[in-house]
Amino acid sequence: MAGKVKWVTDIEKSVLINNFEKRGWVQVTENEDWNFYWMSVQTIRNVFSVETGYRLSDDQIVNHFPNHYELTRKDLMVKNIKRYRKELEKEGSPLAEKDENGKYLYLDFVPVTYMLPADYNLFVEEFRKSPSSTWIMKPCGKAQGKGIFLINKLSQIKKWSRDSKTSSFVSQSNKEAYVISLYINNPLLIGGRKFDLRLYVLVSTYRPLRCYMYKLGFCRFCTVKYTPSTSELDNMFVHLTNVAIQKHGDDYNHIHGGKWMVSNLRLYLESTRGKEVTSKLFDEIHWIIVQSLKAVAVNASPSLTSSTANDRILKYNLINDTLNIVVPNGEIPDCKWNKSPPKEVLGNYEILYDEELAQGDGADRELRSRQGQSQGPRAGRSRDSGRTVLTTWK
Amino acid sequence: MLQEESDLSLIIAQIVQKLKGSNLYSQLERQAWASLQRPEIKLESLKEDIKEFFKISGWEKKLQNAVYGELSVFPLPSHPAAPPEHLKEPLVYMRKAQGSWEKRILKSLNSMCTELSIPLARKRPVGEQKELLNKWNEMGTDEPDLSLFRPVYAPKDFLEVLINLRNPNYENGDSLSFRTHLGLIQIPLKVKDIPELKECFVELGLNTGQLGIDDSTQVPPELFENEHVRIGQKVLAEQDSAAAQQYIRQGSPTALRAELWALILNISSEPEDVLYYEQLKTNVIQHDLLVDSLIYKDVKLTASNDDYYFVFEDYLYQVLLCFSRDTSVLSHFAYNSASPPKSYIRGKLGLEEYAVFYPPNGVIPFHGFSMYVAPLCFLYHEPSKLYQIFREMYVRFFFRLHSISSHPSGIVSLCLLFETLLQTYLPQLFYHLREIGAQPLRISFKWMVRAFSGYLATDQLLLLWDRILGYNSLEILAVLAAAVFAFRAVNLMEVTSLAAAEVMRNNRRIIIWCGIPVYTLLKLE
Repeated sequence: MAGKVKWVTDIEKSVLINNFEKRGWVQVTENEDWNFYWMSVQTIRNVFSVETGYRLSDDQIVNHFPNHYELTRKDLMVKNIKRYRKELEKEGSPLAEKDENGKYLYLDFVPVTYMLPADYNLFVEEFRKSPSSTWIMKPCGKAQGKGIFLINKLSQIKKWSRDSKTSSFVSQSNKEAYVISLYINNPLLIGGRKFDLRLYVLVSTYRPLRCYMYKLGFCRFCTVKYTPSTSELDNMFVHLTNVAIQKHGDDYNHIHGGKWMVSNLRLYLESTRGKEVTSKLFDEIHWIIVQSLKAVAVNASPSLTSSTANDRILKYNLINDTLNIVVPNGEIPDCKWNKSPPKEVLGNYEILYDEELAQGDGADRELRSRQGQSQGPRAGRSRDSGRTVLTTWK
Repeated sequence: MLQEESDLSLIIAQIVQKLKGSNLYSQLERQAWASLQRPEIKLESLKEDIKEFFKISGWEKKLQNAVYGELSVFPLPSHPAAPPEHLKEPLVYMRKAQGSWEKRILKSLNSMCTELSIPLARKRPVGEQKELLNKWNEMGTDEPDLSLFRPVYAPKDFLEVLINLRNPNYENGDSLSFRTHLGLIQIPLKVKDIPELKECFVELGLNTGQLGIDDSTQVPPELFENEHVRIGQKVLAEQDSAAAQQYIRQGSPTALRAELWALILNISSEPEDVLYYEQLKTNVIQHDLLVDSLIYKDVKLTASNDDYYFVFEDYLYQVLLCFSRDTSVLSHFAYNSASPPKSYIRGKLGLEEYAVFYPPNGVIPFHGFSMYVAPLCFLYHEPSKLYQIFREMYVRFFFRLHSISSHPSGIVSLCLLFETLLQTYLPQLFYHLREIGAQPLRISFKWMVRAFSGYLATDQLLLLWDRILGYNSLEILAVLAAAVFAFRAVNLMEVTSLAAAEVMRNNRRIIIWCGIPVYTLLKLE
């Protein structure tokens, strides 16, 4: 029965609503019969919490997986990755191979991290090994750069030691839980500035894992020149790239918002460092994303607020392409579908990983077409043989 | 035949003269002396042996590249008795027009100076010097009060001057005929038509592979891209300027571009070059020039707000401030119709011994000038190399875009070429736009003056500049401008005002690959 898709949302953002309306979908309330609900994080929590016992019916789609908070909280994410690595090791998977120093060859993409206050003592031991290093403290449950700070002295995190020294029963409200990671103080700089990457990844199913990466991700630049000097540890404009923080700096520009398209990054790196190195970088980024997803790690609430005009256009198109993939042809969702959409609807997404395809013969070809460029001879590089193993490995 | 021979020997003599003063010459001399130690060099056959040695060691190639470089900028052969002004610009009325334009610019600069009571130049106090040195890598964070400064001129001011250019020896006649030029430029210069363009830009034809089209993801790389990359690597290995220039006509692979451009422009980063740049930097630290504020203002207005180039803001200051102190740039005025503005030490007006060029490099920046540098930041991240490349690009190409001359790559010819192409091959569109008061040149002028920087996505812009280098000509800018109009002809026909046409054209970026419109145009014949 071809009816119109009925949608609900509790986030009043034009990039969403315009996309729904242009498809001729019908807006309903959450108490009515709905097919598509774009939920805020709070609502998701309520919907999927044990108490409410709410079950989605076969023709309903929501925009987050039930276990998403496993991924949005930094401590859970770290736990998941550590657990994932151990599992692979136990299974004897080649992915979990280590080098002579005990470092993972292919899965070493998270810096040394500890949970505070739980792992405080372990952390202190590690800290004492290299006392001149800098560490970054991030609150587990917050986003957009809130509450992050850098330390280089144990005294700066005394607070967390007190809690662990006292009795084992301490009411640890989640808000005070932090992760502390080794700070990488020699990041790649462009124009002398630090930047990070904001990439959009759509996961349509977990089993089998099917995910897509939006081609138009962007880099977010700090407005202030990077310096590893300890006197600037307090200056968040130097170290944190979140737009929410940078927005308040003196030099924030409202036309471009300190953002650069990833294609610019690629052009710059290819021009100044060569094609091989650049391709390797992007391959490794994709690799990290897929592995993290497998360990289950995704941020629950990307900002849908647009900071510049270009931004608004980007997010509108992003939602548009997203909807085209998850609700193809505007048909009412049916959970029994084979959810592999045809290539034409991908828009600006490209297939990051498709487990079903990976298990077939098309593995190598899939890898190549995803990267969109010729592979060239890669004989003597063991890293890549590891990669090809992945795509055929289930 | 005799004339040709004597022309040739004149050119050779002039190039030898030019190269004698260069660094390369002293290096060759040193190498020659050092080679005397070698066993294969025999006294009886000294000349041949040294020549052979140069060939094997690659020095001959360097010399070839240098000669080739000189030929690229060398003005067309002229009569040995011709006065130096003819080298700058053979047509008197053009020279006069350039002269009065320069007077206007200088007047504007001087009045700004007087109004703001700021000297053209002053020595910085030691404290200020120290401060600037500390901030050298982040001058973008400096927020001097620039509100009172205004750019000395903008492209549209320059366009008005060009529109009013007239050849006093040419009578257009009042009656309209099919030969009447409908455009804004009323100068009878010779420009190429499409058959001539096709002949000239033969590598851009449909039957030749191109980067930007034939390397898209739909086309298997074996067809063109791989081979092209392989040839490019070979060209680089040979270090041959002329071959590189030929090669780049089909576009450069991203990873090879930086090296290829350096090879074509004959830039090698010797320690002397880095030292020279450092010297310029010292000049900047020690003296403050009024033009510095103009540069700051320009960067803040243009590149800082550009979503491709804002990242490189600080590099732009480092390049442009040094550029204005670089007196070696003065030598390009020998073949530039423009002349460097002269200023006199206070109280010594008219006395030649007290004349100085201002700014030291003789180039007064206009609104958008920094956009000549910005795209280069994607290729070079070492300041002195970036500087050298920009300087060479300026003295070979960019200077022609803002001086009045009859040169085929000069902005006047480009405008005329653009208008003629449009009128000849898209007469309906041209007439329509003219009728609604939207003369096409008013829209495309700023694209050409800036060599499309800021109007094309960077990867496409670099492909365009590949062709400028490859053909050693700026004519491609006019062709692209016309092609853009051709490409959007249907939409433009529906436009009813200049403003609407502008909006249509200025959607921040022209998101089409430049090759496609060029093909479109070249197919019109």
